[in-house]
Amino acid sequence: MDFQNDWRMGVVYENEIIIDAHGHMGPWLDFNVPEQGSPDAMVRTMDQCGISTTVISPHLCIGPDYRLGNRHAYEAAARFPGRLVPFVTVNPTYGAAEIQQEIEYWAANGGIQAFKLHPSLHQYKASGKDYFPVYEYAQAHGLPILSHSWAGDPLGGASTLGGLAAQFPAAGFIIGHAASSWQVLDEAEKEAHEHPNVYLDLTGSRLIRGLIEDMVKRVGADRVLFGTDNPFIDPRPGLGRVLAARLSDDDKRKILGLNAKRLFRL
Amino acid sequence: MTPTALDFFDCNARIGRPTVFREGQITTTDELLAEMDYAGIRRALVYHTLAAEWSPNDGNDMLRQELSGQNRLYPCFVALPPATGEMPDPDGFARMVREAHGAVRLFPQDHTFSLLDWCAGPLLEALAAHSVPVLVHIGQTSWGELSAVLSAHPDLPLILLGTYYRVDRCLYPLWERHDNLFVESTTYQTFRGIESVCARFGASRLVFGTNVPELETGGAMTPILYADIPQEDRAAIASGNLMRLLGIEH
Repeated sequence: MDFQNDWRMGVVYENEIIIDAHGHMGPWLDFNVPEQGSPDAMVRTMDQCGISTTVISPHLCIGPDYRLGNRHAYEAAARFPGRLVPFVTVNPTYGAAEIQQEIEYWAANGGIQAFKLHPSLHQYKASGKDYFPVYEYAQAHGLPILSHSWAGDPLGGASTLGGLAAQFPAAGFIIGHAASSWQVLDEAEKEAHEHPNVYLDLTGSRLIRGLIEDMVKRVGADRVLFGTDNPFIDPRPGLGRVLAARLSDDDKRKILGLNAKRLFRL
Repeated sequence: MTPTALDFFDCNARIGRPTVFREGQITTTDELLAEMDYAGIRRALVYHTLAAEWSPNDGNDMLRQELSGQNRLYPCFVALPPATGEMPDPDGFARMVREAHGAVRLFPQDHTFSLLDWCAGPLLEALAAHSVPVLVHIGQTSWGELSAVLSAHPDLPLILLGTYYRVDRCLYPLWERHDNLFVESTTYQTFRGIESVCARFGASRLVFGTNVPELETGGAMTPILYADIPQEDRAAIASGNLMRLLGIEH
């Protein structure tokens, strides 16, 4: 298998582990998501380009009803075992007590493999106390936490996540959208160097030329995770960015799936 | 050039030294051709940074010089409305562009003019008369302005660049009304967007582009290589539609 040459021929990688560590599901308020971003349409699209597994947080979770969204995620995962894996997403504005109940419910009903936070949409700083049931559970069970992040983000910025990574060293902290600009890469790189449990997510719509190669040079391929936002955004541009990158096939394999397989215990 | 499953013709490439440079950025035709070889892109429609970021006339002259003798690169000239006399007369300019199998790119926001007829009308009329495609980035205009231009100039092929996943609710109504609107596929990253557009409006509405050197070529090519549409539709998006618009047969 030679990613750079095979990709240009439209080869679908049936024997490679390709895990999209940053997925969503369903419709969204301010734009058209064809086929309502259904799990069936997502899996069909994954099949079309060789993505084995997508870890999902339905749009409903990062919007108004995280509990109903979590239910949708677990239902979709049950329909497509091994292909769709649920995040447990929480909205801290509903308070730590409700979040604690939500964690206990899913721990007892299907198990928890990872958490997803969206401090920006929920307008709540990632270091706030109502998120702590998540951090404590992740710390106790060695689970990864993906957080939306942006350059200079006052709520979920890289430095805030880095501080949490120091506080909860057994949890994995994934800085979302770490390749969305050179500025966010600068911020995320600093945290990755200081905290071994910090990972950088590639999800983003603006696929800046040369950034992925620079990211790997700075933090190493072991700390980079493939993610796409599917179906918020189509997953194929993000996949192509990795397949076509000026990186070794070994590094591409780590980024595309091996790192996530280890981190998410898939 | 390494083999690819499709013949790619990029509608959105750039050469020239930009105002803000980053190490490793492509500025010359040789560097652009090397990038195209690496990705597997055979041809590209190219504009010059100095035409966009300094002087359209001077930048266009530099583009002509840079592309002289190149058979894989086609010119995308930058234009202004004619009222101030900064550009050649629209009719002669449009004829020259068409004879070169080129196109015209407009920067109404950066260059401080309106696309509406009271300002750009004579230029757009001449370009339409010579079937010269016009490329405009969505950040340089507005949906209302686009609607007015497409209505006033139904024979003007307009390629909208830089769209994204939030555009369908304005884009679809325009496509329902105007056959002369085309969208660069690169940043149109709507989930299953290519499939949805092909089913609803046909593959002729999308044109492959990369926005190199700003963005990745691989990210631009992959949605077409892996699109859930017939191979002839993939080929149309990868190169066929742009060739038709530029009047290139092979």
